[in-house]
Amino acid sequence: MIEPIILLQILWSGIAMSSYYVLLTLAFALTLKVEKLWNFAQAGLMGVAFYTMFFTLNAMAMPIWLGLLLGVTATVAVSVLLEYFGFAVLRRRNSGGLTFFIFTLVFSQFVAYVLTILFGTEPETIYPSVMSPVRIIGGVAVSNWDLIAISTMAVLLVALSLALRFTRDGQFMIAVADNAKLAEIYGISATRAYMLSGAIAAVLLTAGIYLYGTRGGVTPDLPLGLVLTAVIGTLMGGLGRVFAAGLAAVLLALLQSFSILVIPSKWQALLLYGVLFGTLILFPRGIPSWRVPRIRAPEPGVEPVTETGG
Amino acid sequence: MEFIAGTVVMIGIFVILASSYNLIIGYGGLNTVAHPIFFALGAYTAALLGAHAGLPPILGVIAGIAVAVIAAVVLAVTTLRISGDYLLIASLGFQLGLLQLVNNFEFTGGPSGVSDIPLTLAGPNRGLIYVAITLASAVVVVWAIWRTMNSPFGRVVRAMRDDELACAALGRSLISIKILIFSMGCGAAGLAGGIYAYYFQYISPEQFQVAQSAQILTMVVLGGIGTTLGPIVGALVLVALPQAINFLHLPSSMVGPVQGIIFTSLVISFLFLRPGGLVGKTGSGAAH
Repeated sequence: MIEPIILLQILWSGIAMSSYYVLLTLAFALTLKVEKLWNFAQAGLMGVAFYTMFFTLNAMAMPIWLGLLLGVTATVAVSVLLEYFGFAVLRRRNSGGLTFFIFTLVFSQFVAYVLTILFGTEPETIYPSVMSPVRIIGGVAVSNWDLIAISTMAVLLVALSLALRFTRDGQFMIAVADNAKLAEIYGISATRAYMLSGAIAAVLLTAGIYLYGTRGGVTPDLPLGLVLTAVIGTLMGGLGRVFAAGLAAVLLALLQSFSILVIPSKWQALLLYGVLFGTLILFPRGIPSWRVPRIRAPEPGVEPVTETGG
Repeated sequence: MEFIAGTVVMIGIFVILASSYNLIIGYGGLNTVAHPIFFALGAYTAALLGAHAGLPPILGVIAGIAVAVIAAVVLAVTTLRISGDYLLIASLGFQLGLLQLVNNFEFTGGPSGVSDIPLTLAGPNRGLIYVAITLASAVVVVWAIWRTMNSPFGRVVRAMRDDELACAALGRSLISIKILIFSMGCGAAGLAGGIYAYYFQYISPEQFQVAQSAQILTMVVLGGIGTTLGPIVGALVLVALPQAINFLHLPSSMVGPVQGIIFTSLVISFLFLRPGGLVGKTGSGAAH
């Protein structure tokens, strides 16, 4: 019989671990919602973000704020260039999904090869040590990293939600996501919305990989695996539902955490791929109970609303 | 000489892989990225039967083809009711999951792979004999695909790709056609895997990673998707050109990444400069 305190510890650690999964999944889901793009190039962006911060914070020992600023700037810059010189060109040509898939995957591979030449294949962390002070609260070990990770996730979640709901650019992004052509007829620039969603995703990716890299080692080819986790979260949440995808990422992290009780660690990756495959086969449109309810047809006997003119 | 023979064998193997993948994705319109796993299944089956059961190579390769076909039918039956991007991602999950199994099982050698594959041909002409076997297999596969696609069945396959609804309305069983196309293509990948295992005598999971999906897909698209000649040209260009780096005598740790940079740069350049592929139609909108 497993003691409740152990389960509580696993739950807490799982929630803390989910922080970077949530941020990476939000980035993937946002791009998919607004740009209709399965953006595997986000693995390359994660690589750029991580190694910029590794170089500035670990190798050059710069102040944290400067390293983070440079990480965000480099990632947003690459994201904007990718949109301008890559996706925009392919969109103008009406390229199919397969072309976008090849381009994004190959771009990530290109970045991984360049990073391998620059930094090698040994796992690196953003700071020389990944140790974090721990305090015991109610029998559960809570590290400073856990608190930083969960607060970062919460702040960025709220900021994204507010930005999408209450800013003009956020509303324009939603409009473009719903119907890009119609949005353009109303004077909304789809190009700007795509660029902005890419930039926001770059910020989320930088935050996500920062949290990951302050807890464990990163190699140039690791980000592709993280993108796949984001894909699974996005699919479970259902396409177009950014925050449901974030919730799915939390569930995935908890599933991984609790699975250590019954599954050896070497099989945990298989569990994720199994969930991916199963979700696609069983729920290709996302978990049913998370779907936005459809507008129901009027009850029999209710008079339909008719247009009276004027 | 051995270097040239090895390069030509690789070109032959990738011609088989790219042409068979073109059958599935180009002619059949089935967007999957799991092709390398069928290549891996062919290679592992042939290697394990050769190393542990002492089966003759020809039977090992045939068994590899059979296992690849069976796995293809399993994937097809479970996933072909979904389509487009979903099929793409489902096939990615299938590829990664199966590769994880290969990586974790002890009888497959785990991450270290299989290194005791018996030497089937010895002597100074080994390379040349394998070149002949591989090129002959590639010619047979390309010819079989060309013949199939120029038969009445091939016209049905193209009709299905262009308009599934209209094809179904004519009384054709789309699922049967998809399973058949998928099995043919994946069986050919199994053949390539068997030849690969016996020629190189060493296989490991990292030789069949997602990167290889992109590599084969790229050969098809850059050569010219939906054409007979395109995958051949794509395989030739993308296997031969990165080999040029071997003449620069770089440190061994640099060769792989530099080859990768050349490969990915070529792909990105071709995607933007010649989107219709090298032998495909010029203009925009290639690759579906």
